[in-house]
Amino acid sequence: MVSHSLILLIAQQKKLQLKFNSQVAMKKIKRTIPKSKKTLQALKKRPVASSVVKTNTLKDPLLDKIPHSTLEEIVRQQTDELKVRKGQLRQGADREKLGADREKIAEEQLYIRTKAMESTFDGIFIIDAKKPDFRIIYANLAFYELTGYSKSEVIGKNYFLLYEASENLFFIDEIKHSLLQGNPFQGEMIHHKKNGEKFWSLLRITLIRDKNGNITHYVGNKTDTTLMKQRELEIVQQREELLHVTRVGMLAEFVSSLAHEISQPLTAILSYAQAAARMFSGKEPQLQEILQYIINDDQRASEVIRRLRLLLKKSTPTLEPLNINVLIKDTITLIMTHITVKNKVLKYELDNNLPLIQGDRIQLQQVVLNLISNSLEAMDSIDSRDLLIRSSLKDASTILIEVKDSGSGISPENMGHLFTHFFTSKPNGLGMGLPISRSIIEAHGGHLDAKNNSDCGATFYFTLPLCLKEHHEQ
Amino acid sequence: MNNNRQIIYVVDDDVSVGKSISLLLKSHGFRVETFTRSTEFLTFKHPKVPSCLLLDISLPDINGLVLQEKMVQQGINIPIIFITGHGDIPKSVKAIKAGAVNFFIKPFSSTKLLDAIALAIVESKARNKKQIEIAQIWRNIKTLSPRELEVFRLVANGMLNKQIASKRGTALQTIKVHRGRVMQKMHAKTVTELIHFAQKTGIIPSSN
Repeated sequence: MVSHSLILLIAQQKKLQLKFNSQVAMKKIKRTIPKSKKTLQALKKRPVASSVVKTNTLKDPLLDKIPHSTLEEIVRQQTDELKVRKGQLRQGADREKLGADREKIAEEQLYIRTKAMESTFDGIFIIDAKKPDFRIIYANLAFYELTGYSKSEVIGKNYFLLYEASENLFFIDEIKHSLLQGNPFQGEMIHHKKNGEKFWSLLRITLIRDKNGNITHYVGNKTDTTLMKQRELEIVQQREELLHVTRVGMLAEFVSSLAHEISQPLTAILSYAQAAARMFSGKEPQLQEILQYIINDDQRASEVIRRLRLLLKKSTPTLEPLNINVLIKDTITLIMTHITVKNKVLKYELDNNLPLIQGDRIQLQQVVLNLISNSLEAMDSIDSRDLLIRSSLKDASTILIEVKDSGSGISPENMGHLFTHFFTSKPNGLGMGLPISRSIIEAHGGHLDAKNNSDCGATFYFTLPLCLKEHHEQ
Repeated sequence: MNNNRQIIYVVDDDVSVGKSISLLLKSHGFRVETFTRSTEFLTFKHPKVPSCLLLDISLPDINGLVLQEKMVQQGINIPIIFITGHGDIPKSVKAIKAGAVNFFIKPFSSTKLLDAIALAIVESKARNKKQIEIAQIWRNIKTLSPRELEVFRLVANGMLNKQIASKRGTALQTIKVHRGRVMQKMHAKTVTELIHFAQKTGIIPSSN
């Protein structure tokens, strides 16, 4: 054990070039080294296998030449010394390693952060806040792409100079004012690219402060919201189109209903007058004259109604092949916000294998929208949230659409009047929605009705024929 | 024109409309029966005289179009003139297709209505005549013995005496006797006439 340790020790001493403080130890080592060198060389010349055997047996003749006590003394001293040294060394190395690791991690993080800034779709820029000229000191790739300006046109330049004369000056003042007050800014506006192209931009500017709370930088984030804006606009347009059609439909329905109500007494008046004229025919010339006036004016009123009917004659549905599921989903996008705001949950059960139907897209959307709005209103004052829309094949030639709510249901006294004009159970309802919906569905050769669910709420359902031929037979 | 024997039925839920039309038609000499519900009309015993029905499409119990179907089912063969407060084209097309003779949108002039009624009465007379004729043929058929009825069917189907005899396994002479009795009982002068009777009663499919 001793000889082996010694050899290792010597080797370590040489390798590490250690310096010993102890004078005694130094001398002993100087004496030992030449011998040790020889010992080492001798050992090296030996075949490896035998050296292993030798070191294990601890019986090396070369080592026997050093007195045992000396050897033990050297070993003990050196072992202690080495322990201390090793400890010191390990600490140092660890510190060094730790430092290097930290640096590496920091470098990696910096790299990732830079890459993240560079790869994001949002245009990011940093403005030096210590100087009054809003100088840009950094901008990411997306910023250049978004604005169309090159790096040299941006870096070191006043941020607001990038806003051409075409920009809304009101916004520039507002942004500056907000930042100089020490407030972040957020706003959506139309920006112009360098080439004049317009885009909708959501601009957010936050502030960076140093330890003392002084603002050092402004960090801006510019998002291109043009596509979102376009979609929003499309939805608004579609909704308005539907609303318009609904209003026109309501007016037509209103006039038609009014015409019907008025035509009844007009018919009676006309018939009474004609009967009287017949009964007194050839007698009472004055009465005859008056009766004729009544008849004439009645016919004048009838003519007004007839013309009104012609004017608001419901346009015949423009039939096109439609996928009812797509139509339902399209309609839902129009009121999804409404559903979410009302905190209701809409579920679909759409049969994806439904054949196409023939129908008027706008009119059918109107019906679906009307039924969903009704269902939402029925659940207004109630905690239940579930609204289900189901499409299925009723039989070989008919599809069935159901809108099932979990609201208050329909009271028996209301059930009979649901589709009557001007009947409404809602405080500000007109009583037109369901009659219009029903006449639309009937014009499509289908049927619209309502029933109460066995558990809670009501289901409004309608059928539509699958092929065009059947529609014409209606 | 004596309209006394002719009946005009009016079914309209608007009492005033029914009453005024009734008054107008009575002033022209018609007998008028008014109803505010379809069921009332259906349960009424309709005399076998030339008639016409003025029918409102939208009725509270059974709507006019459904009543039209029910009349066919119950064998009430009265020409219908629809009157409606709605200018409802698809419904009017459906009604006409189902056999209505005319269609008026309220309010309508009495002259046009009277013209339409006159046509409907003509139609009703023709229908009644046909109905009476068919009833008479059925009465004649009922006097036939089972064997004679069979011979009637076979002759109406265009079979010759010989064919009938071989099919029945009977002597030709016997068939001739049966056939003579059929002609006599059916009051048919010719075979063609006999075939017409069979067609009118639906014993053999109508050639038309």
